[in-house]
Amino acid sequence: MIRAGLVLAGLLLFGAVDAGEPGLVAEDPDHRQMLEVAKQLRCAVCQNQSVAESNSGLAEDMRAVITEKLAEGESEQAVLDYFVARYGGYILMKPESQGKNWLLWWSPLVVLLLVLGLGYRFLRGQRVVPPAPPGLSDAERAAVARARAGLEE
Amino acid sequence: MLMVPTVHWIEFGHFCAVLALLVAWAQGMAPILARLFRRPAWAGLSITGAYLCAILVSLGAASLVHAFVSDNFSVAYVAQNSNSMLPLLYKVSALWGGHEGSLYLWALVLCLYTALLAWRGRTAFPGHRPLVLAVQGWLVFGFLGLILFLSNPFERLLPVPLDGRDLNPLLQDPGMAIHPPMLYLGYVGFSVPFAFALAALISRWPSVEWIGHVRRWALIAWMFLTTGIVLGGWWAYYELGWGGYWAWDPVENASFMPWLTGTALVHSLAVQENRRLLHGWNLFLIITTFALSLLGTFLVRSGVLSSVHAFAVDPGRGGYILAFMAVVLCVSFGLLFLRGGHQSADERILALLSRESLFLGNNVLFVVACLTVFIGTLYPLFLDLTMEEKITVAAPYFNAVVIPLLLLAVTLMAVGPSVPWRKARPDRLLRKFRWPAVAAVIAGLLILALAWPAPLVAPIAVMLVVFGAWLIVSDLWADAGRRAQGKGEFRAVALVRVVLGKRRHYGGMLTHMGVLVAVIGLTAAGLFKQSVSVSLVAGQSFVVGSEELRFDGVRLLKKDNYEAVRGEFVVAGGGVILRPEQRRYPVQTAPTTEAAIDSTLLRDLYLVLSPGEDESWNVRAYVNPLVQWIWIGVALMVAGVLLGLSDRGTRRKTRAAAA
Repeated sequence: MIRAGLVLAGLLLFGAVDAGEPGLVAEDPDHRQMLEVAKQLRCAVCQNQSVAESNSGLAEDMRAVITEKLAEGESEQAVLDYFVARYGGYILMKPESQGKNWLLWWSPLVVLLLVLGLGYRFLRGQRVVPPAPPGLSDAERAAVARARAGLEE
Repeated sequence: MLMVPTVHWIEFGHFCAVLALLVAWAQGMAPILARLFRRPAWAGLSITGAYLCAILVSLGAASLVHAFVSDNFSVAYVAQNSNSMLPLLYKVSALWGGHEGSLYLWALVLCLYTALLAWRGRTAFPGHRPLVLAVQGWLVFGFLGLILFLSNPFERLLPVPLDGRDLNPLLQDPGMAIHPPMLYLGYVGFSVPFAFALAALISRWPSVEWIGHVRRWALIAWMFLTTGIVLGGWWAYYELGWGGYWAWDPVENASFMPWLTGTALVHSLAVQENRRLLHGWNLFLIITTFALSLLGTFLVRSGVLSSVHAFAVDPGRGGYILAFMAVVLCVSFGLLFLRGGHQSADERILALLSRESLFLGNNVLFVVACLTVFIGTLYPLFLDLTMEEKITVAAPYFNAVVIPLLLLAVTLMAVGPSVPWRKARPDRLLRKFRWPAVAAVIAGLLILALAWPAPLVAPIAVMLVVFGAWLIVSDLWADAGRRAQGKGEFRAVALVRVVLGKRRHYGGMLTHMGVLVAVIGLTAAGLFKQSVSVSLVAGQSFVVGSEELRFDGVRLLKKDNYEAVRGEFVVAGGGVILRPEQRRYPVQTAPTTEAAIDSTLLRDLYLVLSPGEDESWNVRAYVNPLVQWIWIGVALMVAGVLLGLSDRGTRRKTRAAAA
């Protein structure tokens, strides 16, 4: 467990690894920023992959466009907006939460509350205390008393 | 001169499949006709039909396999999905590599389940056997109809092509060879509870007599579905080369939906068995789970997911599928509505704090999670159809909405087994939860300190795992201790005997333990993944996570069914060599990546290679922590189900109840 913790900590400190050694190729920080943007964009010709993950030609071209625009000093949001303007909302991995997608974003909560409400109503209905079993009639009580008296004799 | 007739096995198989369609019809009709003509003996025909169908459909499958293995490219399906160069294993698994064959595999699995059910029914439920089998017969009939009339794998080609178009390279892989059969064993497995449910509704069969059988079959189906889904994820992980195993792809979601309701089902069936509650709800869940299995198959197989318009191109197939679903839904929910009153609970939930009400909470969470996945998967289709608008609903959405629900479910899972049936006493529970809770909080704080700044999910998941595991282990330990003292055994011996004596309980706990182990893996791999992408020439090194790798250049490689460029990377310090490949298959020429993975319990080092500019190669490298824990956790879950199913006590009890 301690070793796991140390490795985990090592992983998290990865940003501080010294890349200055000779022969050691480090990742370009611009490249990392490009991937951050690419992660939020969908590769339009792939099944459900982001531009950062895909190996397709289109994704490669889109990565080149992102790199170029970031190098020109555009902000990440500006690059995203550029792609949305060309491809529509489809290109965003995370659908916008405002506007017409309210149904998509709010329905899980509505469904949860609805089902919880139904479940709670069911439970309340269940909690009616079952009526006590009908007691003995006077005649039966007398019979029991007689039987007990008989046993004790 | 004597003419020697040449045997066309494929035509023989086709004939068998057509015959099976007729037999399935008879199997479905038998109890109905028996009732109409007042000849009870006729109902038994559905039993003969079940066996006969299984034999006929198996013969059909055998003829298809024969066509693949003997490179009979006069069969259109073989020509599209195979090639003479393909290794034998993939020639066989190519049977389910395309649309027509997948549906055929579905029908085959359904027929085999039906035959098994007919066999088990001899002693377990003889009186209701014909009716249960008739329901299965109608399902077989529906599927074989779709196969034979609209997507027939036996169709022939003229002129006969010289060679086949080859199996999709991504499917030429052992993982993909067994993923579909496992998945279908899961999907189709839920047809058995479905058949029991319909038979019970039709004949007013009291649920005490069948609930035990249904619970066992549902568990078997759940186990296969779990295995199938995870095999799919595992395959995606090492074959698709993007460093992950689950992308919330619509195809994955289609299999995840019946898994969610199936998970709810195996729990709430236990409530019905133990407390005689939730009868109507369970019938609803059984029907829904099977309907979602059908929906899953059809979503994937109809092409509606890749584009709404692909569905419209082939209106025959799409129309049939929709009509089939509509009939199944109308008949089953109609019966539930009309006859459900006869299947009602005998008892009530007595207290808000009781195991049965926690089970109800579990059901709420899984059903809501399923509805959420349903909405997220179908919303883009809905928007496309109604407003001609396209949006992407992918991982960010599902992670945001489904993970909180599943974490809540894990919370209930950790707490639930400690809460007694009927009515729990809060003071006792608090006493029991005190120490595990303290340990959980310490573990959570430790993770926060070590991994700062980490998303809140990390400490929450760790706390749940510590809390849940503590309770499971301490209960087992105490149980073994009591036995050791009572019988004077060693504690280790007592431990084994306790587990084997209460297989059903400890099978469940083992499955829960597997979930906890998988949660650790999922959390670590999901939150603490590291990746770099660099461009290298031979001799250069790079760093990913805390590991240094040296690139030693590439080599060309020639295999029977593909050519490859294979890179060599040496991990500093350990002497481990990783060899990622870029493959090119001769017929379908799009290159595929073959990731190289070095797995240890702590992390997977994952490399993907692609050609760069000039002499250089692009490398994407990932360090995925604790991924192996996911697969180990799932293996434990499956082992738990098997342990629970091996409980002879319950088997004897259900048999006694049925008698």
